[in-house]
Amino acid sequence: MKTKVTELLQIEYPIIQGGMAWVAEHHLAAAVSEAGGFGLIGAASAPPEIVREEIRKAKELTDKPFGVNIMLLNPNADEVAKIVVEEGIQAVTTGAGNPEKYMPMWKEAGVKVIPVVASVAMAKRMERYGADAVVAEGMEAGGHIGNQTTMALIPQIVDAVNIPVIAAGGIGDGRGVAASFMLGAEGVQMGTRFVVADESIVHDNYKDRIVKAKDIDSVVTGQSTGHPVRCLRNQMTKEYIKKEQEGVPFEELERMTLGSLRKAVMDGDILNGTVMAGQIAGLVSKRQSCKEILQEIMTEAEKLLHC
Amino acid sequence: MLEEMKEMIAEQLNCEESSITETTSFKDDLGADSLDLFELVMALEEKYEVEIPSEELAELTTVGAVMEYLKNKGVEA
Repeated sequence: MKTKVTELLQIEYPIIQGGMAWVAEHHLAAAVSEAGGFGLIGAASAPPEIVREEIRKAKELTDKPFGVNIMLLNPNADEVAKIVVEEGIQAVTTGAGNPEKYMPMWKEAGVKVIPVVASVAMAKRMERYGADAVVAEGMEAGGHIGNQTTMALIPQIVDAVNIPVIAAGGIGDGRGVAASFMLGAEGVQMGTRFVVADESIVHDNYKDRIVKAKDIDSVVTGQSTGHPVRCLRNQMTKEYIKKEQEGVPFEELERMTLGSLRKAVMDGDILNGTVMAGQIAGLVSKRQSCKEILQEIMTEAEKLLHC
Repeated sequence: MLEEMKEMIAEQLNCEESSITETTSFKDDLGADSLDLFELVMALEEKYEVEIPSEELAELTTVGAVMEYLKNKGVEA
């Protein structure tokens, strides 16, 4: 399928893999790109030199283009922003903030810039500063989320900007891709479905938890603190939400989740760790390779879209 | 300028116009989050035909600070 997004990123399928902290490392990013999508290395809070290493390792696994997601709250964001230029990365996506100050440097180096946005005003502003596309992410997504749903947000952003819009949040199969395209998107970003991919290095317990998840397992912690995080319910979320309702101070709640994503992703402690996943986890029911995932999704989507 | 600003802020942040003064802080007094501030900045830029780069956004925490900023940018009071 050809869209403005496949053209922009020089890829076969208009599907981007989300830049998930701890999950989006070089194996997964390279596998997604190698299979015809666009893989991302999630820089998250990693030290800059680790990000550089991840980029180099991904390059050993694929000659196809891949990107880096930069979490702008990371105190090292300035350095990571320079590393992507030095390493000749094709595209960056940015989250948790405003990437304006890096745009001139990236544009000059020919790095495509795709900010993740959660509102119309932010999308318009990013367009004005030279963004090549935006990822519009609804609150169905896993991890840190906004307040608007994908269904409502995508058409509003599509109407507001002239650059391509990539839909994210709640997309896990060909129907989701087709629906996003009907809303005006020209690409999608998926996270949860790729977490369980064979090439993903996530602990088996974490993958099993997603594969077994039911629709109602998706909960949001931190609603009251203004830092909502979507994950799958377990011992930790039960305790967290109970404490939240009791009005426990923010700092104490934060302590509960410090390092808890790593605990779940790397150590496989899915009872006390944070199992971040989107609402679509209930639909994700099998483990496949990235290639199988992409081909299955695109075959279904193209059939639905009659293309 | 204050009256005009009060009207705009009240509309953007859905709050009482009468609760806004020069010392009102967007975050602390009006509960604005980062997305709200984006809305406000975009509205200000459009109305006063100025560009407010993001490095300068951090300092614009109160109504008075925004007015001062706009004046320095040559916006007529």
